[in-house]
Amino acid sequence: MKNLMYLLLGIILLISCKKDLAPISGCTDSTATNYNPSAITEDQSCIYFSTTPFVIETPYEFPEMKIPSDNPMTIEGVALGEKLFKDPILSANNTQACIDCHKQNSSFSDPNQFSTGIDDIQGNRNASALINLGWNTSFFWDGRSLTLEEQAFEPVTNTIEMHNTWMNVEIALNSDKEYPFLFKEAFNINYIDSIHVVKAIAQFERSLISTNSKLDRYLRNEEQLTISELNGYVIFNTEKGDCFHCHGTNMFMDNQFHNNGLDTEPFIDLGRAKVTLDVSDNGKFKTPTLRNIEMSAPYMHDGRFATLEEVVEHYDSGGKYSTTVDPLMKKLGVGLQLSNQEKIDLVAYLKTLTDNEFIDSE
Amino acid sequence: MKKKLILISIIAFLFTACDKDKPITTDITINFTHTVDSFDLITNSMIYTNDAVEHYDVQTLKYFISNITLHDDLGYTVLKDIHFIDISDESTFSFTYDNLPNNNYYAISYTMGLDTIKNISNAYINEDFHATMFWPDMMGGGYHYMKLEGDFNDSLSGYATHTGGTMGMDYSFNHLDNISLTIDDDLGDVYININMEINNWYNSPNQIEFSSYGMGIMGDMQMQMDIQKNGITDVFSVTIDK
Repeated sequence: MKNLMYLLLGIILLISCKKDLAPISGCTDSTATNYNPSAITEDQSCIYFSTTPFVIETPYEFPEMKIPSDNPMTIEGVALGEKLFKDPILSANNTQACIDCHKQNSSFSDPNQFSTGIDDIQGNRNASALINLGWNTSFFWDGRSLTLEEQAFEPVTNTIEMHNTWMNVEIALNSDKEYPFLFKEAFNINYIDSIHVVKAIAQFERSLISTNSKLDRYLRNEEQLTISELNGYVIFNTEKGDCFHCHGTNMFMDNQFHNNGLDTEPFIDLGRAKVTLDVSDNGKFKTPTLRNIEMSAPYMHDGRFATLEEVVEHYDSGGKYSTTVDPLMKKLGVGLQLSNQEKIDLVAYLKTLTDNEFIDSE
Repeated sequence: MKKKLILISIIAFLFTACDKDKPITTDITINFTHTVDSFDLITNSMIYTNDAVEHYDVQTLKYFISNITLHDDLGYTVLKDIHFIDISDESTFSFTYDNLPNNNYYAISYTMGLDTIKNISNAYINEDFHATMFWPDMMGGGYHYMKLEGDFNDSLSGYATHTGGTMGMDYSFNHLDNISLTIDDDLGDVYININMEINNWYNSPNQIEFSSYGMGIMGDMQMQMDIQKNGITDVFSVTIDK
């Protein structure tokens, strides 16, 4: 009897040993990227999704950038966004990338008055410079998009721009050799969708920060301005030129919409009113930053002015009358009354906003 | 039995005592209202006339009311340090201060604009109003107290009543209005309305003409003082709704 008991015990031990010897081992944590649902034994092999934060240091006298909580900046996301920004894969016939109309040496804008899409059709507004966009509260000249993510949806499917469909883009990206890996790395997704494409592009755009112009160096006491530039600085920042009310603070824009007296009524382009449907917004357009303005010619929403001298001449003349001209500019027939030297000084000051490091950086 | 009864009444007493200890307070909402000649402001309408007989409209009105304080017999309660009002954004037309303690409040005071302590360049750099309200360092720095803009002269001309600290001068002003407000347990929520009578910026004691604004008034100390005096005189008034 005793022997039988020993035998039984031995068998039980063997069985239990057997079980120990042949478990399916692997990563048992469902939050890991290599989670093995049939694994019973944890073997410490779990790999977790992780990205490296892309840190944005708030530039001198800038507000903190407001980054959407559902699209935090990462090194991987920015790099992916840059690749997408420069890749014609987003266009229907694989011929046009974002960067073709937002050229870096033009402060990521188009040196042409109007950009031409893949079907050789021109738009009717000048491509915006992409610079310090993270501090903007709306996008496009009429402000119809409230986030960069929302904005990035549009050019891809716009029939006179990239003329593509998001379904095509998703097919192209998912069947690509590199993109599935890069999206997995940046967002931990197995299927590339449009939402993550625009997220990556928005991250790249938020990384395009320019704050190392001659003026910045002057404000940091690292470089001196010339007499002419300083004179322009005074004209700009007082009611003599009254530039600062719209192009103010270190951001050189106010996130608002204004009619700066370019046209008489009826307007060819209603601008902001197209979005708000409010007649008091007729002919108003978003204030662009003046940083790198020297590099982002031509000027105004329709690129009508080729040079900064023409722009200054416009403001000096007081512009054209319409009911919605900004009250600050409604001194029609009066204008700024700047002397020729003062106009030269103002342009010289505007050119201190050029950041060559931004234009030339890799 | 008697002992038990005493115990029960003590416990009952303690319970009610606890209830009474729990402070019963009132939420107070401060509303900012705007009138022209006593009628509610209508923006973008050329229907107003100042004493200089200039017809005008109002397109933009942005301003700061700061140091909003209720005074009682023993001291005061600061309801809010700075409040920014923008006529194009209804969410700025009021704020609520929760749990105002029971007290006899005899006055409310507030500052139009920002006093020297608050009016510092970049002090509110992360606020949305920073980009539109800042005042260039070249002209003294800090922030505009108020931007009141529109057209006059049959819409042929614009005016911009921009007040602020020209060359660092402090043209903000305090306003104290006597009120009779007893907050007790029985009182529900309370609303105090601070009204700006816009036309009065231009009329008394100084008659101000838009046509004399020239290239602007931000650097014009005399104009800033004249507008300030008008503001102190009769621009603001307070009413209470209980």
